[in-house]
Amino acid sequence: MKKQIIETDVLIIGGGPAGLATAIHLADLMMKNVESNGESAPVKLPYKIMLLEKGGEIGNHSISGAIINPIALKELLPEISISDMPFESEVKKDEVHYLSESGKITSPFTPPYFGNHGNYLASLGKVTKWLAGIAEKKGIQIYAGFNGSEVLYENDKVIGVRSGASGIDKHGNPMENYQPATDVLAKIVIFAEGSRGSLSKTVINKFQLAKEKNPQIYSLGVKEVWEVPEGNIEEGYVAHTLGYPVDSTQFGGGFIYGLRKNMVAIGFAVGLDYADPTFDTHHAFQIFKKHPFVAKFLKGGKIVRYGAKTIPEGGYYSIPKLYADNMMIVGDTGGLVAMPSLKGIHLGMKSGMLAAQTALSALQNKNSSAQQLSMYEKLFNDSYIKTELYPVRNFRQAFEGNLYTGMLKFGAQLITGGRGFGSEKLSVKEDYKHYRPLKSFNDNTFMNKMKDELSFDKITTFDKEMDIFYSGTNHDEEQPSHIQIVSTETCQTCLEEFGAPCQRFCPADVFEIVEDTKSNKKSLTLHPSNCVHCKTCDIKDPYQNVIWNTPYGGDGPEYGTM
Amino acid sequence: MGLKIFSLMKQVPVANEMRMGSDGLMDRTKAKSIINVDCTFGLEQGLQIKKSVPDAELYVVSMGPPSFEQSLKKAISMGYDHAVILSDKRLGGSDTFATGLALATMLKSKLISQDPNDKFIIFAGRQTSDGDTAHVPSQVGENLGIPQATFVEKVEYQGDHLQVVRMIEGGHQTIDIPIPCIISVAPTAIHARRPSLVGAINAREAKVTMYGLDDIGLETTFIGLNGSPTVVSNVVDIEHTRQKVVMLDGETPSDKVNNLSKIFSNAVQTAKSSAKEKTEIKPTEKANEFPIVDFRKGASGILTWVEMTGGQISKSSLEILNPARRLADELGTKVISVLIGDNVASFANQVIGHGADEVVVVNDERLKEYSILPFTSTIAQVVKEKKPEIALFGATTSGRELAPRLGSRVKAGVTADCTSLKIGTYVNKRLKSTFSPVLESIRPTYGESKLATIIGFWCPQMATARPGTFESLPFDNERKGIVTEFTPNLTDADFISKIVNTERKEVGGQALFTADVIVSGGKPCGDLDNFQGIRDLVDALKEQGIKAEWGASRQAVDRGFAPYARQVGQTGKTVRPKIYIAVGISGAIQHVSGIKESGKIIAINIEKKANIFNAVDYGIIGDYVKVMPELIKMVKNGYTFGLKKSEDIK
Repeated sequence: MKKQIIETDVLIIGGGPAGLATAIHLADLMMKNVESNGESAPVKLPYKIMLLEKGGEIGNHSISGAIINPIALKELLPEISISDMPFESEVKKDEVHYLSESGKITSPFTPPYFGNHGNYLASLGKVTKWLAGIAEKKGIQIYAGFNGSEVLYENDKVIGVRSGASGIDKHGNPMENYQPATDVLAKIVIFAEGSRGSLSKTVINKFQLAKEKNPQIYSLGVKEVWEVPEGNIEEGYVAHTLGYPVDSTQFGGGFIYGLRKNMVAIGFAVGLDYADPTFDTHHAFQIFKKHPFVAKFLKGGKIVRYGAKTIPEGGYYSIPKLYADNMMIVGDTGGLVAMPSLKGIHLGMKSGMLAAQTALSALQNKNSSAQQLSMYEKLFNDSYIKTELYPVRNFRQAFEGNLYTGMLKFGAQLITGGRGFGSEKLSVKEDYKHYRPLKSFNDNTFMNKMKDELSFDKITTFDKEMDIFYSGTNHDEEQPSHIQIVSTETCQTCLEEFGAPCQRFCPADVFEIVEDTKSNKKSLTLHPSNCVHCKTCDIKDPYQNVIWNTPYGGDGPEYGTM
Repeated sequence: MGLKIFSLMKQVPVANEMRMGSDGLMDRTKAKSIINVDCTFGLEQGLQIKKSVPDAELYVVSMGPPSFEQSLKKAISMGYDHAVILSDKRLGGSDTFATGLALATMLKSKLISQDPNDKFIIFAGRQTSDGDTAHVPSQVGENLGIPQATFVEKVEYQGDHLQVVRMIEGGHQTIDIPIPCIISVAPTAIHARRPSLVGAINAREAKVTMYGLDDIGLETTFIGLNGSPTVVSNVVDIEHTRQKVVMLDGETPSDKVNNLSKIFSNAVQTAKSSAKEKTEIKPTEKANEFPIVDFRKGASGILTWVEMTGGQISKSSLEILNPARRLADELGTKVISVLIGDNVASFANQVIGHGADEVVVVNDERLKEYSILPFTSTIAQVVKEKKPEIALFGATTSGRELAPRLGSRVKAGVTADCTSLKIGTYVNKRLKSTFSPVLESIRPTYGESKLATIIGFWCPQMATARPGTFESLPFDNERKGIVTEFTPNLTDADFISKIVNTERKEVGGQALFTADVIVSGGKPCGDLDNFQGIRDLVDALKEQGIKAEWGASRQAVDRGFAPYARQVGQTGKTVRPKIYIAVGISGAIQHVSGIKESGKIIAINIEKKANIFNAVDYGIIGDYVKVMPELIKMVKNGYTFGLKKSEDIK
């Protein structure tokens, strides 16, 4: 069977908040236009909008804290009142604590940009599922369970995206149930893949869209949803923590949110610019849950879901150029996350709406050149996305390496409108460049320091294997590994130098170092079916020896409520 | 001439109990609905035919509520051309007999061309996960009067016929089956393909054709709750919670292993099963509330089918004589066994010695190997002559297709895979009647989580029982019975399917589903001796006549110590052996979820803290290399975990 080709006007890759906002706003603008032309009750969109989502259903791969600033949703769906949006609760109580090993210091005031007044707690999966329902009604074609495996180019311009073949065995040979790839050709492709989008990454490299920008840097957040006994936590309660169990060289902290029906969202996020190759975010999260301040919320409860995601937090200077011929980038893929509040959902959605506005005008002008699409950048610069990101443009950079000096630098930025005492643009280096050789730690590593804390009781704390089960992740075992190792020789070098940090940074046990009992030779074994699609491996491998590709569409976690 | 492919598909709730609702609790009503997994294999076979016949038209066909649309559209996204559903409130409560009739009627009246040059093939899955009966394919085949093959693993299109390979007890059989025909596909066939994007676009636009009873001209006499020959009279939950693990202690590995012989001794097992059966007769209450109705109308006797496998009486056929004998004694009637084959009269005494009063012998060289059509015809003719009130079959791959086809022919309801059979009464408040005596057929259902009691109202009341459920009665040399010859009227039409080859040899993973004992190894077993200890234990068990197979954890499969076909667990096979032995397996929740329905689970692990000990009945802490030889030695000395030998009686 040959590959198949289909066509659309606008192709959106990714059914998260940014992709769905793009689709909905584009459809609304199209229809507004049609109405103004005097036509009544149109049933068909004048331009085709197609959205591909790799998760088996919209929402399966949606994960966030989440505290949502509703500004973009209100703007996107002005006819729907907040009370009809699928939020868990309004933020009612907002605390920040600094945790020491056994105690806590409560911040007497909410630090700047941490305030959540007027924001809403939500499960992002529920929100995206709800948005998808709205989008379907507006005539947008949503296909969940289909990946984007490759960007298609013609004359060095994006012309579409290939959705991969399936029915291929581990060695790459087609099996009897082979389904060929489908090439989707589009006038405009909008990449809304989320953090570290695998296609966007290739496009950004090919067109050098990140030239003269800071590299993107990330945090890894791991999260569990719990159901706890009545009285453990109040609905609308929000606590953010700094400190234990990470030390002052690391940028990170925890969150505890009280949701509806005695559900708790709890998580821990740590900047991936740490130096210690033994650091393990999942384990840090489990240790965090043992802290008396945290444990009390979970007492007597049970885990419902687990998940992990990376968060692009480089800020304003790490945002690549968001357009090129026939394409635009929206949401997390573009690094549109405001620090230090770690909020990107509203910015992602807003960027989608601006891209939609740009796309419609391109379609109407029958011109989707980079020049035409530069309208997106103008709209962006005039929007609240820039207003939110620009004053904190140097925030994250200041924290590279030390929390305390970071706070001082941030203090300086606050009184200088973001510039701080130094150069206008603080630079930053890629996360993977921060590792220090294992030997240089003289055993003073995370793993050694924490070795007494690394037993998990399987009641409140879990090993990765058990947590993965609660992610609901599932991958067809019969497919080539979607996690690609560039060179196994490099793995040997890495073992010697860094002790294979892949075993630690991956929150889903995809990487395992196995020792052959006979030769005592250590080598890497992959468990790609454990993967929860956070893409930390693609970011944090010290040699950039891991490439994350999309597996079969429909594979991956089943979050739904994360 | 055009070829049409009809694939029967049912939508079912996700059965995996480890899947949680949004509130974190398992809730079947909220459970996600999917295409019944077995049906996906049928769908795939339909698509495979397109490789040979590119212009074949593919129909996915279902019966159920309109909410099945999502699964019908999924089939279209896989490559089906049309989706058709029979949906009518009056069909609610239909049993398999009624379902088979209704589907066949729709196919006949709406989908199958009247032109005999237009050919069709029907594909179906083996069975559904919520009903587990495997009846409907046989019943659709009977109602349409076309040949069938069930439990099929391979299908090859050869022009005017298909060559299929079907699973049989202990092996495979290759059959040439003419088109039109119906094929039910085993879940060891080709896995269903993923939807294609083009398919998904087609599905979005596609219209599902919906028919009601009036459209297909079917009256309600034989469908729905009132028309079905069987009803579910009672459902109880089966407790699956395992008691806390019992650790088997001892100074040496040998001491530890020897503890097992105290737990699973043959004496204990036998005592238990006979005790269970003695409690089955109990006086019925409220029986006098309504007048007693005896619906047998003169039918009497318990009929059983004696299956010949490889020149021997199948073990399950002797087992079924046990409940038959007991029910006959209780009803004051006799056991009539039908023995079919070529020159099989000499086996009649064995059947009598195990409990039959009369053996009807059918000798015909064409009936040497079991084949569905002539055997259905033969037994149907015996049923017509003898008019039994009850008919019992071993639930082998033959019995499981023969009973439902026969049921549809003689108009009787069938209960599949019973674990217990009793005589009871059934009070029908609506009809203000007490039916007595009735056969209460009790069977596990809904993925083994519930025990349902099924009552049939038409004679014969038919049931099949899983091999190993009942113990055959000891052979009694003194028992007397009569042997009669019977010559059925068979036509050429009964022999249109040709058996090409019969091979009795177990292969690979499929045997995991039928094994009584599964010994699974983890990664350490591979590291230490490349699974030799695991395989040696299985071989030793086989030598003792136990159906034993070996499996592996995902870790071990990932390391290449075992093929994926042998992987046990969430992403491998979910197994239900009587005894599961996990060796060197840490007990990841993913593995445990695939074995939790096993009878008894024994874990051997060197790690005292291994998670596996939280999920098993008996635990042995010890070194794989030292424990296994002790266990193998015990088995070689005759220890079989209290299980009976499963080889056929000589």
